[in-house]
Amino acid sequence: MNTAVSQPSGHDADVLLELDGIGISFGGLRAVDDLSFKIRRGEIVGLIGPNGAGKTTVFNMITGVYRPTDGHIRWHGRDITGFAPHRIAAAGIRRTFQTIRLFQDMTVLENVIAGQHLRMRQSWWQGLLNTPAQRREERELIERAMTVLQQLDLADVAHEIATSLPYGAQRRVEMARTLVAEPELIILDEPAAGLNEQESAGLNDTIRAIRDKGITVILVEHDMSVVMNVTDNIVVINFGKKIAEGKPADIRSNPLVIEAYLGQDDDEDDPLMNTVKDQVNA
Amino acid sequence: MDKHINPSTRAPSGTARVLRLAGPALWALGLLIPQLLSPAWITIGGIFAIYSIVALSQDIVLGRAGMYDMGHAVFFGIGAYTCAILSLFYNWPVLWTIPVAILLAAALGAILSAPIVKLRGDYLLVVTIGFNAIFVLAMQNNLFGLTGGADGLFGVSGPTLFGHMFGTQSDLFYLDWIVLAIVLWLMRNLDRSSLGRTFRYLKHDELAATTLGVNARNYKVAAFALSAGLAGLAGTLFAMQLSAVSPGSFRFTDSVVLFAIVLVGGQASVPGVLLGTAMMFVVPQIFTEFAQYRYLAFGVAMILVMILRPQGIWPARKGVI
Amino acid sequence: MDFILQQFINGVTVGGIYALIALGYTMVYGVLKLINFAHGDLCILGAFIGLTTLTSGIFGGLSTPVLLILAFLIAMIVIAVAGTLLDQFAYKPLRKAPRLSAVVSALGASMLIQNGIMLIWSPNVQVFPNDLLPNITWQIGGAYLSFVQLLIIAGAFALMAGLYFFVHHTRVGTAIRATAIDQDAARLMGVNVNRVIAMVFIIGPVLGAVGGLFIGLYYRQTYFTMGWSYGLSAFIAAIIGGIGNIPGAMLGGLLLGLFNAFAAGYVSSSWQDAITFALLIAILLVRPTGLLGERVAEKV
Repeated sequence: MNTAVSQPSGHDADVLLELDGIGISFGGLRAVDDLSFKIRRGEIVGLIGPNGAGKTTVFNMITGVYRPTDGHIRWHGRDITGFAPHRIAAAGIRRTFQTIRLFQDMTVLENVIAGQHLRMRQSWWQGLLNTPAQRREERELIERAMTVLQQLDLADVAHEIATSLPYGAQRRVEMARTLVAEPELIILDEPAAGLNEQESAGLNDTIRAIRDKGITVILVEHDMSVVMNVTDNIVVINFGKKIAEGKPADIRSNPLVIEAYLGQDDDEDDPLMNTVKDQVNA
Repeated sequence: MDKHINPSTRAPSGTARVLRLAGPALWALGLLIPQLLSPAWITIGGIFAIYSIVALSQDIVLGRAGMYDMGHAVFFGIGAYTCAILSLFYNWPVLWTIPVAILLAAALGAILSAPIVKLRGDYLLVVTIGFNAIFVLAMQNNLFGLTGGADGLFGVSGPTLFGHMFGTQSDLFYLDWIVLAIVLWLMRNLDRSSLGRTFRYLKHDELAATTLGVNARNYKVAAFALSAGLAGLAGTLFAMQLSAVSPGSFRFTDSVVLFAIVLVGGQASVPGVLLGTAMMFVVPQIFTEFAQYRYLAFGVAMILVMILRPQGIWPARKGVI
Repeated sequence: MDFILQQFINGVTVGGIYALIALGYTMVYGVLKLINFAHGDLCILGAFIGLTTLTSGIFGGLSTPVLLILAFLIAMIVIAVAGTLLDQFAYKPLRKAPRLSAVVSALGASMLIQNGIMLIWSPNVQVFPNDLLPNITWQIGGAYLSFVQLLIIAGAFALMAGLYFFVHHTRVGTAIRATAIDQDAARLMGVNVNRVIAMVFIIGPVLGAVGGLFIGLYYRQTYFTMGWSYGLSAFIAAIIGGIGNIPGAMLGGLLLGLFNAFAAGYVSSSWQDAITFALLIAILLVRPTGLLGERVAEKV
């Protein structure tokens, strides 16, 4: 099945999310094939692989955007394969998107409040009639959103239109939107894309702070300065299959991983390749 | 950071403050119409109020929830026919028909929309056209002997309260104008509620909304049901105002006009929708000798506004909170 | 049996007309993904132009067959120009705009044309002279085929065959098909997309104008709202066959014509349209891409 260098250790009782042999085909293309791994509570797991390896597809399957054609996904032992996205969110799994999907024409505050959608108790008629109970809840929603915005240094732009902010700030807004829901698992899809070095370092701190709050994190990332420094475990996939799994140090020197990246067309900007090249040539 | 956080709402700008007062002021001014203007204008005022309500309801499903409903006249018609049928054939007091009409229209909105909200925009649009067409044909064919055929039904009276019949155009105008105020208040609340926000999430990015826990299907059906109910309400007022209902008032052209009012006036914009309604229903009355050019002018306006000002004549304010 | 044959004849006649009009909808949708709501009105405008040519007396000296040909030609040319103007002024400025804008513009154009017709000609029914076509009727079995029916069937099929050949065996036609499949890819292949769109707004309206004039000759009348009603039927036909699919529009038109003809025999006409709409809704719910449309996988 795979020649992982080392298996992640831990009690199975702590397994939050389990991917069990999942696979999906798009027309004739087998995008993901027989993929299995576990994510334990409190871990920060990285999912890496060359471009087109199927990483975002895996995330889409976990979050219910796609339905796997094979295999099962389990959350706290419960089968959630093929659940619609809103049920996945209700289960406590939140995500960010590779292409930042903030709501246009809405402020930062409104976007972050959106993350609390499932928290709301107000019924439709209470909203229409603007009852005191509804107004109270609105104030609470705003307060909680502002707290999270404070933590991510966004309080002073709370009333700006979210999509008018610089790229790095927009990423933080999307992050705030997922955090305000107090999820159990956060899925970050290329959170460092478009960030400079300083912002990437800040991202690492943010991710660790998230974990310290008790939230489990799984992320897809190409920026190795993030992946290698912040993750506990890494799963490597290529052509939709898992080719390695283990701690960052082990993955770095895993020959299969190196081959997967080196076997690609020459990409001088690929940090992992450069890291690998340096190590090989050292 | 233990600073006490003030749940802040944006301080309204100067213009916004003026506009917030202007609305109620204009409405209050409108109450004087029966005192100041000729009877023709009282009727126009009533018609304007009624169509504003329908247009605002169209805005809920189209401008706010982002669904291409081009058969909205159905719900308007359901409300009108319910009022007429119950009061004429079953001798219901007209006021009692109102809640029934609202509920019936809302229920129909939910039932019709449930199987179709999954469709892509263009297909949804065509299906709603189909529903509209079927409704008109059913009414024309004197369904169950109740709907009166192509000529419709006549003789709907105004509401009776405390034994006194409020049937004059002035009475009906006040009724329409008050209901309009109520609907405007509901729209304002909708904007500030999570329901309204959720509609907007769905309109802007349905996928992202679902990953936040929004059950897209339920909310889309809810948007249809809510907008249908309001259209039904307007329908009862319409039946009273005209004392009659006929299929000719609820056709495809009428749905198109409602659709266009929202887009030309400004999606999710209450002043925009009111402006659009005024353009379509009030302005032609001013230039009565040009009334036959009404649709021509509106057609040209639709093209020009889409090209020159796609956001609508009076776009919604971005960001409510 | 005679009844069936008669309905078949009637159905193919009306179906041919539907097909001619449906082609305009489907070609525009295929290339622009836009429902050209104004198309039906353009088609009926063809009928009006034709009628005016026939009755204006300017061409009084000509024999009837020549006059008829002239009417068709003039209608085709005028509507081709009208279609081009429609695109230039109402659609082209909105190529990059959101879908809804183009929809509203199309509706506005439809209103404009329809009311323009009403204002120029009159809101009343316009009658076609009844001595235009020879009053010959052939008997086939127990069914009757009139001259006008034969004319329509022959004309519609000839045009459809011509279009099919054009689309599949000429470079321009292939360019049109390519643009309908993937506009960007076609552009990258060197297709002049603007020229393709311009062609579509000539071919579609020309076929539609013929269809419109056929309506006028068949029913011997026309009025300004007919564009809406026939347009909607033709549009339904295009959807049934698969919107964007040219053979689909031809098939859909014929099927709808036949369906209406046979249904008329069993169901009162006042419910016929309701059944057609119900059928449309059912198709959209079950197989939105129509009978011949492709099932396209959408990438999220």
